[in-house]
Amino acid sequence: MDAPHTPPSAAALDKALKAMTAVVGSAAAFATEEDRDAYSDHFPIDPHRHRPFAAVAPTSAEQVQALVKIAVAHRVPIWTVSRGKNLGYGTAAPVVAGSIVLDLSRMQRIEVDVENATVLLEPGVGFFDLYDYLQTRNIPLWLSVPGNSWGSVIGNALDRGLGYTPYGEHTRNLCGMEVVLPDGDMVRTGMGAMPNAPTWQLHKYGYGPAWDQLFVQSNFGIVTKAGMWLMPQPQIVRGFDVEMDRMEDLGPLIDTIGPLRREGVLLQSPTIGNWFRAANILTTRKQWTDQPGSLSDEVIAAIRKQFGLGWWGVSLRVYGRETVVQANMDILEKALTAIKPMSMKPFSWRPGEPFSPTQGGWMGVPMTFPMQSANWFGGRGGHIGFSPVLTQSGKLAMEQFNRTYARYKEFGMDYQASFAFGERHMLNVNAVLLNLDDPQFMKRVDPFLRTLIADARQHGYGEYRAHIDYMDTVADCYDYNNHALRRLNERVKNALDPAGILAPGKSGVWPAGHHRGTKA
Amino acid sequence: MRRWVLIGLSTLLPLAAHSADLDGKQLFHEKCAMCHGAVGMGTGLLARRMKPEVAPLEMREDLSAAYVERAARVGILNMPPITRGDVSDAQLASIARYLAKGKP
Repeated sequence: MDAPHTPPSAAALDKALKAMTAVVGSAAAFATEEDRDAYSDHFPIDPHRHRPFAAVAPTSAEQVQALVKIAVAHRVPIWTVSRGKNLGYGTAAPVVAGSIVLDLSRMQRIEVDVENATVLLEPGVGFFDLYDYLQTRNIPLWLSVPGNSWGSVIGNALDRGLGYTPYGEHTRNLCGMEVVLPDGDMVRTGMGAMPNAPTWQLHKYGYGPAWDQLFVQSNFGIVTKAGMWLMPQPQIVRGFDVEMDRMEDLGPLIDTIGPLRREGVLLQSPTIGNWFRAANILTTRKQWTDQPGSLSDEVIAAIRKQFGLGWWGVSLRVYGRETVVQANMDILEKALTAIKPMSMKPFSWRPGEPFSPTQGGWMGVPMTFPMQSANWFGGRGGHIGFSPVLTQSGKLAMEQFNRTYARYKEFGMDYQASFAFGERHMLNVNAVLLNLDDPQFMKRVDPFLRTLIADARQHGYGEYRAHIDYMDTVADCYDYNNHALRRLNERVKNALDPAGILAPGKSGVWPAGHHRGTKA
Repeated sequence: MRRWVLIGLSTLLPLAAHSADLDGKQLFHEKCAMCHGAVGMGTGLLARRMKPEVAPLEMREDLSAAYVERAARVGILNMPPITRGDVSDAQLASIARYLAKGKP
């Protein structure tokens, strides 16, 4: 495990919390033992390692400014969460135990620009909140939602979360931010730097250096508002739910989808998943086997048969005007037929027609049912991801799959994987399902994850996102020219946050003088 | 995401509009129904342990307000604790009264 960061002194924390409580009020400051547990990680390897000291819930950017200044004055670390639902990546918990969590859940303003298909949001707005807002007003704009949509729209985009529609790379939808800097100053990025600019949510860059991505997966500022582009409701959605029978079908499937994605026949972010990704939502392990270790081929075959699953499956969707969709569907059908899928079920939807909730991901409807996978072992569970960035090569992806699958078997884990297409890259999102009721099992998780990270690193693959336990380890892989990127990040960090109070350790970026806990 | 195979579910129930008032039913739909509504994670997992028709919390007759508040704050099995930043004590009390249908 990464070594702990030096905790702040109890006296400093008490004084800081008292001053912060004066800003937000006693009904928005939380420091009981129960509160500390509630703001801890709920899919943890060790639930005690990242326990915060307290949490405070401001309702305005001005309160955030005041809280930051208090943290600087008392030199206590603060850890910002939008809604604190980042399950699998640390939930609401800070890297540094004893930090004070800044919980922005109560900042919930929504301003939609219907004509331009944009929204300006505060971080406390969840996917369900925004969906309800649009639906109840009959606004024909769609979100893109992640598989667990309990969290914040802004928070997910700031951690580079994924969805499944043409707006599925959520960080790309960001357009213009309001940010409180670590000294309490406030900046608006892009066109927002001009007071009252009508183009803040329309043009991503403004003039000169563009800063939005500097505040993504970083600890350089606290985003208190952000613009997002929304998808105009399409005239029609069509596509195919495709199942491929054999393990080795992954390569040809990737090589079929990749060119269509790069060319723009497919504009969505298609995600190929293995059979287990579908099955672990529907059933529990004990219904199939009492054997420890990875599931046997016989058990896998039985589960696949029960639910009619291929070894791999993918849902491909084409969105837009009828005539364009028809033309792209013809291309898609021909390409898919050529690789002989096990099944290829057509899908079609027009506005006003009902659709199954299981289609929600491709229709921009928030959902939580995929988190039923946390119950795979029958008791308390969860998941931690291992998500290297790959090329869109079927051959190289098969090699990465074979390496990873062999490691899952070696460590006795059940293999869940997906291959999520970007426009040029592919994210190989593997989930390690946790059995929190089995200490022996849990002891294997950390060495397993470190082995996967090291394997990928050898081939030049680094992760796109990390759980708080692995931020240093993942950052350590990005080590060109003696860690020049980390050195740059930390020069910026020290310039903006000389007191080192804002989310120390986030994405492996530490303030000067703080102990780096890296374990290679 | 790959295709998810859930069988026998109706279409999504629309959630109530956002509001800051303390109407228990409305707050339940804002704060809880994403998991405890028709196709949520909570309903899906509770349906493994009880009759599916009473898996949605609004269909239950055996919940007390005290139990609902405790369960929400400390979590149960795969349900994480609900923070006080997300749902205030006053909001949770209102939700608990609604789900308990008059029981303390």
